[in-house]
Amino acid sequence: MNRRQALRTGSLVAVGGVTLAGPAIAGGAEQPFRHGVASGDPLPDSVLLWTRLTPSADATPGSGRGGESGVGWEVAHDADFRRVAARGRVRTGPERDHTVKADVTGLDPDTWYYYRFSWRGSTSPVGRTRTAPAVGSDVARLRLGVVSCSNWQAGHFAAYRHLAERGDLDLVIHLGDYLYEYGAESDAVRPHDPPVEMTTLEHYRRRHAQYKTDPALQALHAAAPFAVTWDDHESANDAWAGGAENHTEPDEGTWVERRAKSQQAYAEWMPVRYEPGGKLYRRLTFGSLVELSMLDLRSYRSEQVAHPFDGGVHDDERTITGTEQLDWLTSGLTTATSQWKLVGNSVMISPVQFPSTLNTRELEAITGIIGPIEGVPYNVDQWDGYTSDRAAVLRALRDHGVSGTVFLTGDIHSGWATELPADPLTYPLSGDSVATELVCTSVTSDNIDDYLNVPPRTLSLVVEAVIKVANPHVKYLDFDSHGFSVLEVTPAHVRMDWFRLADRTDPDSAAEVTASYRVPAGTDKLERAPRSMDGVTPRHEAATDDERAAARRQALARQEPR
Amino acid sequence: MTDETITSGAADDVSRRRFLRVATTAGAAVVLSTAAGLPAVSASPAGAKTLRVYVLVVDGLRPDEIDPHATPHLYALRAEGTNFPQARSLPVMETLPNHVMMMTGVRPDRSGVPANDVYDRDEGAVRTLDRPSDIRVPTLLERLAGTGRVSGSVLSKEYLDTIFGERASVRWEPEPLIPITDHAPDLATKLALSAMVDETDPDLVFVNFGDVDRVGHADLTGTSLGLLRAAALGATDAHVGRFVSELRDRGLWESSVVMVIADHAMDWSHGHKLISLQAPLEADDSLAGKVAIAQNGGADLLTFTGPEPERSVAVERMRGIALSTSGVLSVHRPEELRLAPDCADLVVYCKAGWRFSDPTPISNPIPGNHGHPATAPIPFFVAGGHPRVRKGVTSSAAATTVDVAPTVGELFGLPPIVGGYDGEIRAEALFSREE
Repeated sequence: MNRRQALRTGSLVAVGGVTLAGPAIAGGAEQPFRHGVASGDPLPDSVLLWTRLTPSADATPGSGRGGESGVGWEVAHDADFRRVAARGRVRTGPERDHTVKADVTGLDPDTWYYYRFSWRGSTSPVGRTRTAPAVGSDVARLRLGVVSCSNWQAGHFAAYRHLAERGDLDLVIHLGDYLYEYGAESDAVRPHDPPVEMTTLEHYRRRHAQYKTDPALQALHAAAPFAVTWDDHESANDAWAGGAENHTEPDEGTWVERRAKSQQAYAEWMPVRYEPGGKLYRRLTFGSLVELSMLDLRSYRSEQVAHPFDGGVHDDERTITGTEQLDWLTSGLTTATSQWKLVGNSVMISPVQFPSTLNTRELEAITGIIGPIEGVPYNVDQWDGYTSDRAAVLRALRDHGVSGTVFLTGDIHSGWATELPADPLTYPLSGDSVATELVCTSVTSDNIDDYLNVPPRTLSLVVEAVIKVANPHVKYLDFDSHGFSVLEVTPAHVRMDWFRLADRTDPDSAAEVTASYRVPAGTDKLERAPRSMDGVTPRHEAATDDERAAARRQALARQEPR
Repeated sequence: MTDETITSGAADDVSRRRFLRVATTAGAAVVLSTAAGLPAVSASPAGAKTLRVYVLVVDGLRPDEIDPHATPHLYALRAEGTNFPQARSLPVMETLPNHVMMMTGVRPDRSGVPANDVYDRDEGAVRTLDRPSDIRVPTLLERLAGTGRVSGSVLSKEYLDTIFGERASVRWEPEPLIPITDHAPDLATKLALSAMVDETDPDLVFVNFGDVDRVGHADLTGTSLGLLRAAALGATDAHVGRFVSELRDRGLWESSVVMVIADHAMDWSHGHKLISLQAPLEADDSLAGKVAIAQNGGADLLTFTGPEPERSVAVERMRGIALSTSGVLSVHRPEELRLAPDCADLVVYCKAGWRFSDPTPISNPIPGNHGHPATAPIPFFVAGGHPRVRKGVTSSAAATTVDVAPTVGELFGLPPIVGGYDGEIRAEALFSREE
């Protein structure tokens, strides 16, 4: 049995050179911890542990059945649990769908720990987690996995498997669309459960449970702590404070009720320091190196404008963050003492103009992943649709001379590296930027070549070139690839490597690195790295130099007649 | 070749200075002065000296301006040593207070120098803090000289030269001074630095290169191309490169610590983005004729000059007027910024891309300014061949200008000044003595 086979069956998970025994997963459907283990939101002295107990055959996710249980947990310095650092018990039951969250305190900072749960003689798979470095301490390096947009029906989670196998990740950031609300689709690689669009608490719980059965996802959760935020699909497409594009009242109940159910299930099933009624946005600190602000861009936002010509995009009464979160974000960024200010940002903040040199078919394809744009400048579901809030954030960075802000973004099913111009009018000449944005592509969710129904890295290359010509702050763009990113943070740079899956429908898919960009400290600018952090020369943008040059020539040629 | 003369000081200056006329490789003569009674030339033979420290201030340099193409020498030097990419200037982000912080290790509420220009309550006028007596605590320059070592000052700006005055054992008075900017070009500064090192081999030299700042102030293309600025950057970078080459050629590199820093950054404003607080303050009946404004480019220092019983109410009115003015970022009490309370009643910052122009809208026509928080990020790195310098290190530490004195003091084994330093020893850049 090779390592990949082991991951698929879940009997063994090799992480960081240590094989984590997983007898529970090997037991499959009979195992009481069949949804795996996870950890999240590490602090210098604590980390949140998660699992879900199946105490009886009828206590299936979302069923509301099954009795109360006491679940034990242990945290140790070693995988064999000879040096136990902490242990305790947590009660759970049907009121929280038998999910377990234990906030373990009193741990040492900057330390790897192993953890497991136990119940009536059964033991869960072993997970590995890491506490954050002490506040203000020197940190030489952090490595983080960065992922978003993992649609079960669109493929397998090979991206998660690759990240789990690396063994060098201190944290995994999931930027949202961890799961999707849609009902089962006839052409799905693997169909959703329940087969209907999730609208009730039972639906949301069952869908979370289904995703948590994926062996690659289980392996990644067991390998490193997560920091997560939601985007829209955790509740419904294009959600905002008062509704969602994919929510119909009264057929699907009220939005208030539906959102509450989605949030309850999220709190139950995710390793996150969030409980319904509380705030999802929060800040994690990693010594003097990093402050990570995880945003919630769905709960407080104003409704999206109907179309990009709507002057409402500039209305300062409209918000994507809400006033309180905006103040929290800007004050946090301007008073941060850590060097790098990472922002877990579910939708793109960089301004993106979609030029009129794109043809109808190409625009329709882009529309497929980002929503209606109608051949004009904005995706109004992103910060482009809420320019007042964006201006407030970027203005604060510039006014206070804040350096080292890097937005980490998902949502748009494509890989981007952009600079955020200090002044869009003078940027083409001055090149002055106040921050950067690194966007990871989707784990599986559709993107341009899927919508265009053309082979990857063909027509998309031209579309990308056209967009880069119109947006000089966009340094890297890959509209086709599915995969994951690895982020390295050191005092000298922040660097992201983008990885592309060969076949998202193959759980054993290979992955190749297709780009590596770094933000040298003190610059807020991007530069392409000749090699990935693993020492590999990227096949840049998954295309040859000739192919990229030809695409750029076509893009420029489209401008000439105009 | 050196000529030496001894002259009496001015009538109010009881010290006697010796003047050294040094011929330079460029053919120009550089005049250095040394204080009588202090060693003018390092007593140690060049080969025996194990530590030399050069603090090179590239006035107004932004950290993002150091790159392999525009400033190859600074870029290479930074890569060789320990870099502090988070480094910041401290309020008020102006030349005089930050140079004084570098050499004293204390914040302006102790050093006495909060800004370039302040309203002097005793004199009843706004003036530049360019007098030696404006610095109220000992600086490294005279403290080091007091231990028998040689300190030197090579400061290109006239007001910098005058405020530090005769504190160093060896002083170059900037010349030729360019009209309006009142600074000597970096070419002259570099020649003076080299001449001073050649002739007197100081243990510590405090250097200010003024071109990048002075040209930056006047660069009308600063918001876009920065053409003049780029030219100045390249030239200053070359001067630094030549100085480093000289240290290597003379065999001094292995004993040298080269600290490169800026006193503040630079921010450019469009012509129409100026703030003049004088008019709205004058329009307020209770404030008319009772507010003095010390304009410092990106910061205005406001002082109420009316009757004392009216002060607290008046200051709140001043705050309200400032905050309601376009382009104003924030308003602070001096003590919030660790400035002495008597330096002003309020410090007003502008936003990035703006500038103050007081008392009139034509008082400050220059596009490049600093003093406001947008101009806080600075380059700061420690290089050199000295074995205590850590090579190839980047540190997340939040280094500031006030850390220079503690760090240099530690290298020389000087005790902290009375009351202790406000800055920190940047140990990230140095191997400990035991290592």
